[in-house]
Amino acid sequence: MRVKGLIFDPYNNAYIVVLRDEENSDMLPIWVGKSEASAIGLAIENVTAPRPMTHDLMKSFLETFDAKVISVVITDLNENTYFAKIHLMYEDSEYTVDSRPSDAIALALRTDAPIFANENVIKKQSSEELEQWLENLKPEDFGKLDT
Amino acid sequence: METENQPPATAELVPLTVKQVIEDSNTDTRIVVLKSDDATDTLPIWVGAAEGNAIRLAMERVVTPRPMSHDLIRSFADHLGVKIERVVIVDVKSSTYYATVSFSSKGVQRDIDARPSDAIALAIRAGCRIFATRDVLKRRTAVHLDAWLSKLDANNIEPQQA
Repeated sequence: MRVKGLIFDPYNNAYIVVLRDEENSDMLPIWVGKSEASAIGLAIENVTAPRPMTHDLMKSFLETFDAKVISVVITDLNENTYFAKIHLMYEDSEYTVDSRPSDAIALALRTDAPIFANENVIKKQSSEELEQWLENLKPEDFGKLDT
Repeated sequence: METENQPPATAELVPLTVKQVIEDSNTDTRIVVLKSDDATDTLPIWVGAAEGNAIRLAMERVVTPRPMSHDLIRSFADHLGVKIERVVIVDVKSSTYYATVSFSSKGVQRDIDARPSDAIALAIRAGCRIFATRDVLKRRTAVHLDAWLSKLDANNIEPQQA
């Protein structure tokens, strides 16, 4: 899946990371907090901060020890608990590390690692449906934040 | 990326402890107050709200339902068998502090450039020591100290004890 953008959700003062699979129009919105959105936004816009941000440090750490991010997988999105797995290759062994989707996506964008989502977490909606869905949202429709 | 900001091998390192994270509700920043073990040196470092909160969560040993970003770095280190040895605040230029995080694997130490806020958040979670070079403690900017002292006098701060 690709990160198509960040949408501000004024009702919750939070952001929605929109992931899409261009081939079959699968769409996955993920609610994240402000600082998590900023970590993803900097990577989307290819902005290099004057000092290393937290995910830049994460990337430096992995590079220093020759560990490679193979992929990240969004595995589950419940009401206020979001799950992802980061798959690492280190010294010919694969490691799977539990993380929040926001950290996994921020790291994937910095390391050019592919992002996947489990079938069961993908809400099948076309882009038109997404717009309609966003327009019709009421505050009570918004999920709890990933904080 | 390995840093060029490593302390000289001969640099005198002063061990510090995070005493408190002070909330400045007016500017939405946090002041991380580090003190030397003998209490003769105080080093206040201004950080963003999110960075200050990450440090406070670690100080208060709050276990969040999901791993926060610094928990993830620690988890990476644990998975790879890498030890987080220490963090050092190595420099200050134009009021910006520079830090390194020292990791070790199979007896080899690697120093990585970091913001002090990330380094401190990581150090508390890993239970490793925080140091500043004697030189950094000497060169704390007067501007920051004055601002800090005036904030301590103000009534709009909420000190959080460790």
